[in-house]
Order: sequence, then structure tokens, then C-alpha cells
Amino acid sequence: MLKRDEWMDLARKLDWELSYVDEAAAFPEVVSGHPWLANAAWVEWDEPYRTSYVEYVTNQNQKDAAVYAVRDAIGKAEDFARHDRAWASAVKLHTATLPLAEFAAVIGNLRAARFGRDSAWRTTAAFGALDELRHTQIPLLLMHELVGSDLQHDWAHKFMHTNDWVAIAARHFSDELLLASDPIELAIGTNFVFETGFTNLQFVGLASMAHQVGDRMFEKMVQSIQTDEARHAQIGRPVLERVLAHDRAYAQYLVDKWFWRSWQFFAVVTGFAMDYLTPLGDRTASFKEFMDEWIVDQFQRSLDEVGLARPWYWDQFRSATEIYHHMVYASAYTYRATVWFDFAVPGPDERAWLREKYPRTWHHLDPIWERITERWREAGPKVEWYTHGVTPVGFCDLCQLVLCGGTPTHNTAQTVTHDGRKYILCSDPCRWIFEREPARYAGHKDVVKRILGGEAPANLIELVQSYFDLTRADWGKDVAGGAYPWLKPKEQL
Amino acid sequence: MLVPLYGFLHGDSLGLIVLVHDHQLVGDIIGCLQQAALPRVAPHRHAVVVHRGVRLDPNRSIAEVGIEPLDRVDVVPEGA
Repeated sequence: MLKRDEWMDLARKLDWELSYVDEAAAFPEVVSGHPWLANAAWVEWDEPYRTSYVEYVTNQNQKDAAVYAVRDAIGKAEDFARHDRAWASAVKLHTATLPLAEFAAVIGNLRAARFGRDSAWRTTAAFGALDELRHTQIPLLLMHELVGSDLQHDWAHKFMHTNDWVAIAARHFSDELLLASDPIELAIGTNFVFETGFTNLQFVGLASMAHQVGDRMFEKMVQSIQTDEARHAQIGRPVLERVLAHDRAYAQYLVDKWFWRSWQFFAVVTGFAMDYLTPLGDRTASFKEFMDEWIVDQFQRSLDEVGLARPWYWDQFRSATEIYHHMVYASAYTYRATVWFDFAVPGPDERAWLREKYPRTWHHLDPIWERITERWREAGPKVEWYTHGVTPVGFCDLCQLVLCGGTPTHNTAQTVTHDGRKYILCSDPCRWIFEREPARYAGHKDVVKRILGGEAPANLIELVQSYFDLTRADWGKDVAGGAYPWLKPKEQL
Repeated sequence: MLVPLYGFLHGDSLGLIVLVHDHQLVGDIIGCLQQAALPRVAPHRHAVVVHRGVRLDPNRSIAEVGIEPLDRVDVVPEGA
């Protein structure tokens, strides 16, 4: 009988010479990606997992059984209700942004499963598509159990179908990365940059905090997903190495572009959770410390190994890890009714911790939290509107996120004109990405342009209700309604 | 004419949309932006408007100083 390694390539790496059509017709560059190379250039393509279909199905079945067992044991609404309300909010943020983005990844992987340039790559991408389908279904299933007790959980399914500003930003990112990209851009942008580097923030960093908090359901979910990601992420490097050998500048461009865009995504989704929504006593490290360990060190090593330079904006990126998510969180706190999850005000102990973890930047943010605290003190508990903005905010025409680049004394937003239209970009890297491919981005309207064009209402309450699809029951609030134990009324000071 | 602007208040964490009319005074932008940022930033008594790197006369009209729709304007403390 043949040993596994003797038959494996017959099952996963089976290229043959085309006779009815030529290779360029079967794998056109417009779909397969640039640079277009004859199959001979890809023939050595391989990845370390070398999984067969039988092995894949067996493993996945066991992993699913483990997730379901945890859900059956501790996945009921009453179990979830035991968690700290701020942590519950971190879960709501993640479980909304995750599942349908994963579904977009199904489509991206299926395109690679057909148009990837090597058969082993196509096999691994087919497993990747099945993985991503699983990552869509698991959070939808788990959160569906909780909708009856808390309408904010409905956003796990609803989020990507709305015009909420975070959903617009998330779609802008995931549509380009996962739905519109060719297999080469997908492999470099998703498998190499996003999955090899950034998802460790979730699967290691946030999972460790979930463990501390005692949220075994969330911990199990992300760990189960991580084992899939670790496998299909291996597509990235062998694709990158071949692109590098034939078009170094393009490889560097794709890495630089997707590193910046991935950073912004994780700054919001993971930065909020780690530095604000995880109870102080359960934080195992700051967001920046996780970034330093899992992104800065590891990603630099990955770049060195393949012979790529660090992104040109590396110093700006390092500075941003010290402040960007703080800028967005403080801004979003005062526009919390525009999203589907709740926010916490950092109290004196949290602010002391943040000052210690961010010694170079926290002094910029502290006055804002002092101001918000003072406004709560003046208004008293439950008076949400007194710490809430009513004026429309500006959005970056590239990342579609609020204009929070730089610091409160030097915001880095800049306007540019293209084909007679004016655009605003939140940072140098967003401007650089926009100007490299303006035709790709110029037609997209941010929320402000939609308001000015009459497509969306200018009144904030109307915008939130009729355009962002939020109601009083599910829009974001302060987790304590302003009634924090440390927030003494004026007369008791 | 209504002029939407991207306004940045010194000390604030984000850029806001300021809606003014072109016949209004430059100084009106200060009040508009400070009011919009009240939940996060206490108003500064002496502030100026900066547009394309130039500090503007608060008593001139928005049309006169050449501010156009979707321009960036900054409101900064006088001594900053």
C-alpha cells in the first residue's frame, strides 16, 4: 500500500497540460492576477500543511463538536448575562464585524480555488473557503441564541446589511480585500498580511483576555477559528515569494497597502476591546504591547525572511499604535448612539493604567475624558445626551473611518482634489493608497457626501434611525448610564 | 450659499462637519465648532481660525477670505 506522501500529490497537486484552450485563456490575468506567469513558474508551489480532504473533514468535524459542546454547556443567554457589561460590548463589536466579512472571504477563496495558478494552491484555497464558511456560521449560531435577551446581538447578522458608518467602513475594506481582489492580491493582502500577522491579536491576545474574563464561549470560538486560519494563511508566503521574484515593486505595494488598511481595522475592533472594554483586572497587556509583540516584531521578521522592506510609513504606524485607537474610542464614545454596542468611560484607575501604558500620548486624551466625566457629573446618571455629539462628523474618503489621524493638537487629515472633486484623507498612508489607484476609490461616497447629496438625512437622530437602522433599543449607550461608583455627584466632592 | 467645512478644534479627537453661510463671518466658525465639540472639549475664550496655514481675520466674511466648500479649517487657541 502507498504511504501518505506517495499518493498525496495525486490528490492535491495535479496539474496537466491544457489542450482545448491555452493557459492564458484558462487563467486570464484580469482574474488570476498580476504578474501573469506560465505554470512552470508555479510548479514548485507548496505549503506545509498538505491536508487531504478526508483529513480536513475529520478534523473540522471534531472542532465543530468541541464548539457545540461548549455552547451547550455555557452558551445560553443567562450564561452570557453574567459577564461584565463592557466585555459583553466587546463581544458584540466582534461578532458583528466578523461573520459576514468571513463570508466575503468564502467568495475570495473560491475565486482562488478556481483561478489560483497552481493546483495545490487551489486545493488549499478550497479548504480555505470551507473554513471561512464555518467562521461565518459559528458566530451567527452562537449569537442567535442571545438575540431574544438583547437586541444588540442581532447585529451579528444585521451589521453588514446596514448603512451604519462602521458597516460602510467595514464593507469598503472587506469588499476590496475579499470580494474584488484577484487570487494574488487576496493571498498577499489576506493570507500573508491580515491572517499571518494581525489575526494573532484576536486569536492569541483577545483569547487570553476572554480566558481571564471567564468567557469560555468566546475563547473557544476564536481558538477554533484560529486553527483554520493558521492552515490557510500558509497560502500567502509562497505566492508572495513568486510575485517578489518577478515584480518586487508590486509585491511591496500590496504589502504596504494591506498592512495599513488591516492596522486601521484592528485598531478599532481590537484596540477598543483590549484597552477599554475588558475589565481592568482582566487585562493581560495593553493593545500596544500586543501590537509590539505580535505585529511589530513578528511581521518585521516575516518581511526580513522574504527580503521585503518595512512599509514606507513605518514610523507613522509606530506612532499611531500609541494613540489612534484612543482617538477613535473617545470620538465614538461621544457618538455612541450611532453604533450597536455600548461604551465605558475609563475611570481614575483605568486612566492611571492607560497613562502608564501610553506615557508618550495619554496626556493628549486625558483632558477629553476629564471633560466627559465632568459633563456626566453635571448631568447626573441616565442623561446620555449631555455627553453626546449632535453634529455630523467627517469621514476619510479612503478608510471611511472618522477623521482621527494624528493627535488632538495635530490632526493629520488632508484634502485633495481629483477630477474636480474634493476628497479628505485621514492620514498620509490613506492619501497614498487613494492616489495610487484613484479610479478604484474616487466614486465611493462617504457618509458626509451622502448627506450633502441628499441620499442620507443630515439630522443626527434621523440619520441614526432611518439610515443606520438603529433604534432606541439597540443603539449604543454608556454601560453604566453614567452611574459609575467612582463618579461622585458634585455635592459629595 | 451654504458652505460645508471640515472643522478641527485644537484639543479634539476628530474632525467635524461645520455648516456656515458664505456671508457669515470667519469668527462664527469658532463658535460653531466649539459648540459642536462641547462634549469633549471646553471652549477656549481666545481662539482663531487657520485656513491653508494662514490665520484669518475673524471680522471678514467667509466668502471674502476664499474659504470654499469642503475645505479644512482649524480653530486653535490664540497663542498656539
